[in-house]
Amino acid sequence: MMEEEKGAEEQQRFSYQQRLKAAVHYTVGHLCEEVASDKEMQFSKQTIAAISEVTFQQCENFARDLEMFARHAKRSTINTEDVKLLARRSNSLLKYITEKNEDIAKFNLERKAKKKKKLEDENKNSVEPAEAGVVESEN
Amino acid sequence: MADSYSRDSEPTTRTLLRRVLDTADPRTPRRPRSARTDVQRALLQTPSSRRLRSQTKMTARRCSHRARSIDRLTHVQASGHLEEQTPRTLLKNILLTAPESSILMPESVVKPVPAPQVVQASRRESGRGSLELQLPELEPPTTLAPGLLALGRRKQRLRLSVFQQGVDLGLPPSQEPHGNADASSLTSSLNLTFATPLQPQSVKRPGLARRPPTRRAVDVGTFLQDLRDTSLALAPPDTVLEDTQPFSQPLVGRSPSVHHSLPCPSHSGAKDVERAASRRTWSSGLGLQNNGAGKPAQLLAGKVEEVGALAMGFPNISSNISGKDGIEPLQNGVGEEAEERMEESLREVEKAAEAQGSARAEEPEGHIEVTEAEGSWGAVEAKEPEGSSGDEDTSGRTASPELASSTPEFLRARRLQFLETAPPPSTAVLPSEPPEPLSARLPPKPRIPGSRPRQDPYKTGLNHYAKLFSFYAKMPMEKKAVEMVEKCLDKYFQHLCDDLEVFAAHAGRKTVRPEDLELLMRRQGLVTDQVSLHVLVERHLPLEYRQQLIPCAFSGNTVFPAQ
Repeated sequence: MMEEEKGAEEQQRFSYQQRLKAAVHYTVGHLCEEVASDKEMQFSKQTIAAISEVTFQQCENFARDLEMFARHAKRSTINTEDVKLLARRSNSLLKYITEKNEDIAKFNLERKAKKKKKLEDENKNSVEPAEAGVVESEN
Repeated sequence: MADSYSRDSEPTTRTLLRRVLDTADPRTPRRPRSARTDVQRALLQTPSSRRLRSQTKMTARRCSHRARSIDRLTHVQASGHLEEQTPRTLLKNILLTAPESSILMPESVVKPVPAPQVVQASRRESGRGSLELQLPELEPPTTLAPGLLALGRRKQRLRLSVFQQGVDLGLPPSQEPHGNADASSLTSSLNLTFATPLQPQSVKRPGLARRPPTRRAVDVGTFLQDLRDTSLALAPPDTVLEDTQPFSQPLVGRSPSVHHSLPCPSHSGAKDVERAASRRTWSSGLGLQNNGAGKPAQLLAGKVEEVGALAMGFPNISSNISGKDGIEPLQNGVGEEAEERMEESLREVEKAAEAQGSARAEEPEGHIEVTEAEGSWGAVEAKEPEGSSGDEDTSGRTASPELASSTPEFLRARRLQFLETAPPPSTAVLPSEPPEPLSARLPPKPRIPGSRPRQDPYKTGLNHYAKLFSFYAKMPMEKKAVEMVEKCLDKYFQHLCDDLEVFAAHAGRKTVRPEDLELLMRRQGLVTDQVSLHVLVERHLPLEYRQQLIPCAFSGNTVFPAQ
């Protein structure tokens, strides 16, 4: 019974993996088409397959490394710091990621500021009528 | 010479053997010599090599070499006396080959050694067939005796070889030859020869078959020239090896295509860029999978510098090289197709670039690949840095011949002129950016291209590892290969320490701890889910280190190292 379950699980995981690989292959194909049209140079099927295979393997590596980094920093969640550590090898990539990170951080801050403002306004609004009410009641 | 010896009344093994041998009738040495010599030389070799291992002091070795040479000569002589191989001849051969120099008294040994050596040399010459020195030949065996006796005596007091111990047990003592030896030694001292003593160094390690270190007189002019060449070459190699971008054909650097692609980086402190490039390329070398085109930029930037320096320094030489390359890259540029070849050519390109930097035309092929790589890299730069770009490579390669052909002219041009050349598409901007953050990130070390003494402190520690490498290679290695190994090791360790620093900072620490190292090993693939660090420690480290790493329970209810 257990073995059957395990076998079924394996099958499920395997099929899941295959689906992921297919998705990656599809995306890689699209990107290659774009580049091909841009550079007026064709991509052979084998090339696309090779690229997608390599991308998939690399994704696995990245995931494992990210988990290792997070565990090394005694965290249970993967952070942007982990991602930056992973990308440090490639300078351009690192720069890109850092910039994106800053943008996102800024965006988050702005959002938070907006939210806070909204909350304050709401509080004020709720407080004023209450005060007004109190004043009126007092009066 | 004979006067220096005092009559030794007590019979030592050596003296006894000597006497036994001397009693043999001298015969024409020439007859069986050829057949004998080979056998005896073989005999000589093994004992001498055995002796070599047992001796540790240089003086002793030197003396023993001389003694051995004497022995060999005597050997040749003595062989002529006996027609067939008897136990006596064998014993004699062994006796002769045994080093007779004493470890503690090299000076006294030195004096008698040259004299018999000279005599032996003369005998050897006669052995070769010269008729003139026939007469002294009769004396030789006896002449040797006093020298050997004295040496052997001293040696005997200090050290007994295994064989001699056996001989002591086996041989019966005989006293007669002793007196004869002394008498004849007086006459033999008058013999002179102008033959140079046999060089003992060739016997040193017959098993390894290595050439003795050739010592030539240092020519000041060439030395200075070499200094200049290597100083110029110093800058390039650092940058050359630096970039290890995977499909980087980045290595090139030398060619003008570099300048094409990186006009900007050269502006910002070229030296910093070079340094950064060196760091980067080194890291990229290890992380081949994760490379982008960023690193090639730095490498090229660094190369720009070098090329400029080179161009200014040796325009003629570089033009010669580039002239060669201009023709060849065109032929080979189209030839290369495989991406792996490009990666392989990275290494070759590095070497080629280095050679080029030193203004040597030794590696035109490497240069071809360099130019090819340059051309392809220039094309790659035009594209976005991606994980794998086989297509880029192919397209780059087609562009390479054109770029390569322009190499010769650019090599002659000045650095500023390089910068003025039209930069390639906007992607050039992207590569130019990375060098700046890099230089900011790394502490800018003031590196003067051409400061030869500065490089030494970086490499001195690696000498040891390079020698280990050449030992385990089991093959003779060129000096250049050893230098390359040193450079690779240098880059490797730099990268390693950078990683460790980053890992420690990642965990919010300022000190590197074993956990950081374990993480590093995990990334390297040495430690996996199946193989843990402890397993590796147990497998490879000796017990002393293992004790320090793996907690073990000791007496008194203590655990070391404490967790």
